[in-house]
Amino acid sequence: MHKVEFEQLEETLFHEKLDNGLNVYILPKKGFSKTFATFTTKYGSIDNHFVPLGETEPMKVPDGIAHFLEHKMFEKEEGDVFQEFSKQGASANAFTSFTRTAYLFSATGEIDKNVKTLLDFVQTPYFTEKTVEKEKGIIAQEITMYDDQPDWRLYFGIIENLYENHPVKIDIAGTVDSIQDITAEHLYTCYNTFYHPSNMVLFIVGNVDPDQMMKLVKEDQAQKTFEKPTEIKRIYPDEPKEVAIKERVLEMSVQKPKVFYGIKPEKLDLIGPDMLKHELAAQLAYELLFGRTSDFYHHAYENDWIDESYSFDYSLENGFGYALIGSDTHKPEILIKEIKHTLQNAVEKWPFGQEDLDRVRRKKIGFFLRALNSPEYIANQFTHYAFNEMNLFDVVPVLEEFEVVDLQNAFALVSHESQHSVFTIMPKKKDAQ
Amino acid sequence: MFETINIAKGVNVHVNETTQFKTINFSIKFKDKLTKEKASARSILANVLQHSNEVYPSHTALRMVLDDLYGTSLYIDSSKRGNEHVVTLNVETVNDQYLSEKGVLEKVLNLMYIVLFKPNFEHGLFKETIFKREKNAVIQRIESVFDEKTRYAQQRMMELALPNHPASTSSNGTIEDVENITNEQLVAEYKEMVAQNEIEIYAVGDVKPEMIASHIREYFHFKDREGAIAVPPLELVKPEQSRVLEYEDMKQGKLHMAFFTPITFRDEKFPVMQLMNGVFGGYAHSKLFVNIREKESMAYYVSSSFASQFGLMFVLAGIDSKLEEKAVALILEQLEEIKNGNISDIELDQTKALLTNQLKEALDSARGQIEIYDQYMELTDAFEPEFMINRWKNVTKKDIAAVARQLSLEMTYFLSGKEDEKDA
Repeated sequence: MHKVEFEQLEETLFHEKLDNGLNVYILPKKGFSKTFATFTTKYGSIDNHFVPLGETEPMKVPDGIAHFLEHKMFEKEEGDVFQEFSKQGASANAFTSFTRTAYLFSATGEIDKNVKTLLDFVQTPYFTEKTVEKEKGIIAQEITMYDDQPDWRLYFGIIENLYENHPVKIDIAGTVDSIQDITAEHLYTCYNTFYHPSNMVLFIVGNVDPDQMMKLVKEDQAQKTFEKPTEIKRIYPDEPKEVAIKERVLEMSVQKPKVFYGIKPEKLDLIGPDMLKHELAAQLAYELLFGRTSDFYHHAYENDWIDESYSFDYSLENGFGYALIGSDTHKPEILIKEIKHTLQNAVEKWPFGQEDLDRVRRKKIGFFLRALNSPEYIANQFTHYAFNEMNLFDVVPVLEEFEVVDLQNAFALVSHESQHSVFTIMPKKKDAQ
Repeated sequence: MFETINIAKGVNVHVNETTQFKTINFSIKFKDKLTKEKASARSILANVLQHSNEVYPSHTALRMVLDDLYGTSLYIDSSKRGNEHVVTLNVETVNDQYLSEKGVLEKVLNLMYIVLFKPNFEHGLFKETIFKREKNAVIQRIESVFDEKTRYAQQRMMELALPNHPASTSSNGTIEDVENITNEQLVAEYKEMVAQNEIEIYAVGDVKPEMIASHIREYFHFKDREGAIAVPPLELVKPEQSRVLEYEDMKQGKLHMAFFTPITFRDEKFPVMQLMNGVFGGYAHSKLFVNIREKESMAYYVSSSFASQFGLMFVLAGIDSKLEEKAVALILEQLEEIKNGNISDIELDQTKALLTNQLKEALDSARGQIEIYDQYMELTDAFEPEFMINRWKNVTKKDIAAVARQLSLEMTYFLSGKEDEKDA
């Protein structure tokens, strides 16, 4: 077992890669009564085209299948796994993102039992045509619920605008139609390909003894048999640099327009330390341009072009990413124009110096330290970083090394007009009765 | 958990000295009676005070100094509990032992003083542009509820079921009242808040209770005050209509049901009602989840919740608009099961285990510690999780059935999405 100490943060991380390829991380947290564990596979909605385990030809699977599989993992021949966790005083849950499917629990007692339950249920698939059919009604209601949420539609609307071919543009849960094609056989194919321990990370954080916990996980895994780890062949289409759609409007039942201005980053093949550095530098650059201390924010807020719903974000994965700036607004045209101007001005003349960098860097370090109070943040973020070959605990040292020019360079990669797009939701006009 | 130091009549400092967190959290709570007018005024006040002040006269200047203090977070929110309206200044700052720079804590305490006592005045009034802008911001916040149809449906139901009752009064007030408030009235409200409200001050982190108390005593100058007189919540009045159907242009139907119960937070049967709600629809093992979602595949979300301050229980479900009647029947069938005492040992044990877990988990965050302590202060002055865990322990199925029989369904509200047919 490797032990890595982060002295300034007063955290110690224990890690071991087991014989079956599973990466196990344990982070003891003093003073906490709860333990939070996530068991995550590097498999999300974008992995819809791949070579199934043991085969040679690639296949395409119906949209929404990773999420469907996540739902079905909880049902077993002997009943519902939620019941098991409840009996042991644990709250269990799961989520599917573009790139990951995570199963998790939090509990303040019976931790050993709950860890065993987590490992067992994720490593024992049970799918029948009957249980698959039954789930379609539930997931159809989930999809319908999201369809009625303007903020979700706005988010997906801009991503569909930005991407021409990449499967990130497909809704994570699929559509009510696409999930009808899912069969138990599909679920087994996906499960066998992507749920091998070598494609997964177990992260346990909280009130645990690392030696004892690692022993428990190792013994559990040694008792189970797995195929030899093989490399998973995932197929992603080529994606042009330019956005797919420059501008689109959707009408919904809302009281005021909503806008997202989206930017597609130029370099989407980054991984590891380069990715970490670029993402952090771009986030700082966007903080300076669009954060709450920026000239943009000041003018937009005081003039009522944005309201309390205003947000901006820069997020990167291997293969896709986006910068988003948006708000509910009575003045969508002016807001879009102002965002464009702000970006254009920064391209022509970079307006920030050392003092600005120091300030946003401090803000970011403070945010990171605050986040370390949350076991959920640590487990989820660490796993996301690990799948992209980065280390969460490198964030502060990387931030400390930045110079102004790093921010400027990161910004330059996301500034070209052909990489920009706008999605707007407008209030639906009520017909005269 | 917390050590309490009284610094003036009606003003208490509560400190939990702990190394569990990498940050220090503060909350200063100003408590007053809840009325629509007060909620409206105090929501604007919260916004105006967090916008800027005499020392940092623009939003940008204030945010810059916060960024410089390692991204110290500072916001003021407006909330309600029962018939109380609460304005809370929330601050979280990094413990400077993790930083190369020291003295951050003193700067943060000083900033809190400035935010509360050095408002951005011009000739004795709040700066007019800021006053107007923040009034507008509160109005837009109230309006935005419409976009989130679950929140909107709940708000509609409450307005219809219990008009002019604290249970339906939004902590943000009403658009009309916000619009009507004058700058002079807001200044009067501000003065009343700092001079007359009951104040609870919380600190959680690696700090000494005496140090925090003496700092606040020395710099904040809080004077003695009577505080708001605790008025028990109004009686629940039977709604005029028991079933309401409304339409919006959307795909999913939103079913909301409101039940009255004589049991509130202050009742000795409060823990029984918590368990009843848990068995009914509080968790993934509950009767509603297992039967409506898992067996019938009718909903993705279906749950119940207990608003213990008012003696209300709600059921919420997202369903196909055609299935309203069937869903209501199935939900009431599950309630009937509980009334008849058809609860398994496992259901009871699971619910006790999860309530216990939830409470302990909530105490793993500083904010959770503050909110739980503040809520339970009324029942015990030395709150520990065992206080509730012991009360849940002895509850029986019979007890649960008995409180279920006291529930009365008073309103079924359905926000339907099937208006399309009319469009053609």
